[in-house]
Amino acid sequence: MTDIIASPSTRRRALEKGVDIEALAHRLGRSTIGPEDLEDSGGGKASGPAADTSYWEVDHAHYGPVTEEPVSRFARIAARNLAAAQTLIPAVTHHDRADVSMIESLRADWKSQAQARGVRLTALAFHVTALSCALRQFPRFNASLSADATRLILKEYVHIGIAVDTAHGLMVPVIRNADRKGLWQIAAEIADLAARAQARKIGPDEMGGASMTITNLGGIGGNAFTPIVNPPEVAILGLTRTETVTVWDGETPRPVPMVPLDLSYDHRVINGADAARFLTHYAGLIADPRRMLI
Amino acid sequence: MSEHTELLVIGAGPGGYACAFRAADLGRKVTLVDARDALGGVCLNEGCIPSKALLHAAEVIREARHMADWGITFGKPRVDLDRLRATKDAIVGQLTGGLGGLADRRKVSTRQGKARFTGPNRVDVDGTELEFDQAVIAVGSAPVRLPGWPDDPRIWDSTAALELREIPKRLAIVGGGIIGLEMATIYAALGSAVTVVELADQIAPGADPDGVRILHAALETQGVTIHTATQVNEVKASRAALTLTCRGQFDGTIKADVIIQSVGRRANGDRIDAQAAGLSVSDKGIIAADDAGRTEHPHIFAIGDVTGNPMLAHRATHQGHIAAEVACGHRAALGTVLIPSVAYTNPELAWVGLTQAQAKAEGRTVRAASFPWAASGRNLASGGGDGMTKLIHDPQTKRILGATIIGRNAGELIAEITLAMELGAGLEDIALTIHAHPTLSETVAFAAERALGTLTDL
Repeated sequence: MTDIIASPSTRRRALEKGVDIEALAHRLGRSTIGPEDLEDSGGGKASGPAADTSYWEVDHAHYGPVTEEPVSRFARIAARNLAAAQTLIPAVTHHDRADVSMIESLRADWKSQAQARGVRLTALAFHVTALSCALRQFPRFNASLSADATRLILKEYVHIGIAVDTAHGLMVPVIRNADRKGLWQIAAEIADLAARAQARKIGPDEMGGASMTITNLGGIGGNAFTPIVNPPEVAILGLTRTETVTVWDGETPRPVPMVPLDLSYDHRVINGADAARFLTHYAGLIADPRRMLI
Repeated sequence: MSEHTELLVIGAGPGGYACAFRAADLGRKVTLVDARDALGGVCLNEGCIPSKALLHAAEVIREARHMADWGITFGKPRVDLDRLRATKDAIVGQLTGGLGGLADRRKVSTRQGKARFTGPNRVDVDGTELEFDQAVIAVGSAPVRLPGWPDDPRIWDSTAALELREIPKRLAIVGGGIIGLEMATIYAALGSAVTVVELADQIAPGADPDGVRILHAALETQGVTIHTATQVNEVKASRAALTLTCRGQFDGTIKADVIIQSVGRRANGDRIDAQAAGLSVSDKGIIAADDAGRTEHPHIFAIGDVTGNPMLAHRATHQGHIAAEVACGHRAALGTVLIPSVAYTNPELAWVGLTQAQAKAEGRTVRAASFPWAASGRNLASGGGDGMTKLIHDPQTKRILGATIIGRNAGELIAEITLAMELGAGLEDIALTIHAHPTLSETVAFAAERALGTLTDL
């Protein structure tokens, strides 16, 4: 007999739906499974602590004219997962910035080559490459914690997720084995995945399984934000708009273009000192891309 | 050209007919074949049902006698064996006839005959070839015959015993399992001097020893002699008597006019040429099936006794429904191990789930709490004797892991505990459920309260 409590009818529904009751209970951290737990169990139900939200139920029309639109299924699943991540993960965000002058000059140097190849060599491509290098150096960032937090799974591969803002919501396609791909290929893949994400033509096997995710607001604006970790990953790197910062070389002021870096991480796996070391190392890779070779 | 059916069910016992009817309800064209004239298999024709009819008669005899202590005397019962047999047969006839009606209503084609496989999609039924898309083997089991015994019409199996040919003066029953004990209960009440010989250390092997102790004492009070840990080495037939030579805890001979062999049942898997369909049959006659009823060949299913122990009608029925559903493309499986066992003796003995001995063998820590029926008002007021409701539970989670009930209607009472276990109920859930007073069902709540330390009735 199993230790999970579920009525015979619930067990039968689970069998019909192909749901493993034991695994589901494990995932939800529960000893009892009811029929409602089987609904949409594939999406991974959030089990955040219930709170009283009744005071949110307000008649908004009372205060002025309003219109209403339904929340899509896609958005509802995303909302649930985000809420679970925000509630269940003790996350910290660490801020730093990196000198991008060398990257900018390389991009300018290679512009004609890029045009010849038909690839737009974006700053993001450099970030994907740099992050791949950094993950090789810091394996704890390339890890996942089991749902019950009893096992840390360390990954031997490096896949980088790219958060893409689309008309129908946020999607995170993944560049597989980014550590084994060259800059041109990565740039081409980013462009391809982003275009197909917009068209909603991303296969399920092209998402998930990432080591870490990059969320890039650089093209829009801002100088810092606190991204939400995308579980089961343990860290996410946010980028905002590059700004020219005054750096003092002794007495001499020098303008330097710097990209703000925001690293949110799961504090259960990563400590603050590790995060600071990681981001310092990362900023170094961006400031001098030659370091990615050694 | 041979005939064709979508789903062929071989064997019309409780598993077979349940399977055939469920499949028909799901839209399959079903043919149900059985060697007997009447549907219902061993259970209805020569097992559960006729034995229950005779046990009822036995109970009335015993109760009437018992009433003398209450100041009501009926005199010595006169048993008209022909009338009793006819009543039993009428009850069986009513039930099997009813099954025929249920089959007709579902347009299940029934056929009498012995089916044997001649290929993976073909059987021969007494010379007629029948092709099928899918088949369910539900051919049941038969009483084991001990080797080396003389061939004598006075040696019965359970089927013969339920034919009620005569009431032997001296009856020896070899095998003290559920079937043997029920026969002892019937024939002792009808007037036979009954001796039960059991090889194991206790009668009803596998059942909770505390419960068995009460049953053992009750049977002895009813005049049944019981020899446990005893082997029958030899049986000799002479005109005057059958003589059993015994070894073990009882060393000596027993003289009997009739012997009932009830040493177990053997699966009938080797009676249908299953090899012709490419199926393997174990040396015990078992055709293996998974929890969805599938054999090695996905279009052939096996359910009930032919799939091995526990050989119980209610298990077969559930397996039958599942096999029908799976055959019709649904996802289903027997998702439980909770199959209650009941000996319809006097008193009844019923159990489900783990016993303490099984828990110990599994290395599981369990606790037991029992409520003695001597403290049950309803039991005493109904003239009931010794009895017990025992709950086995997990000391940490307080969940019920098993139960044994010995006493009147134990077979009915075990259902509450089985359901409680299926729903994962704990001691407190049972204790906080209001049970009507005065009932025997209260003893379940009392046992739970006793385990929790909240009992005030003891």
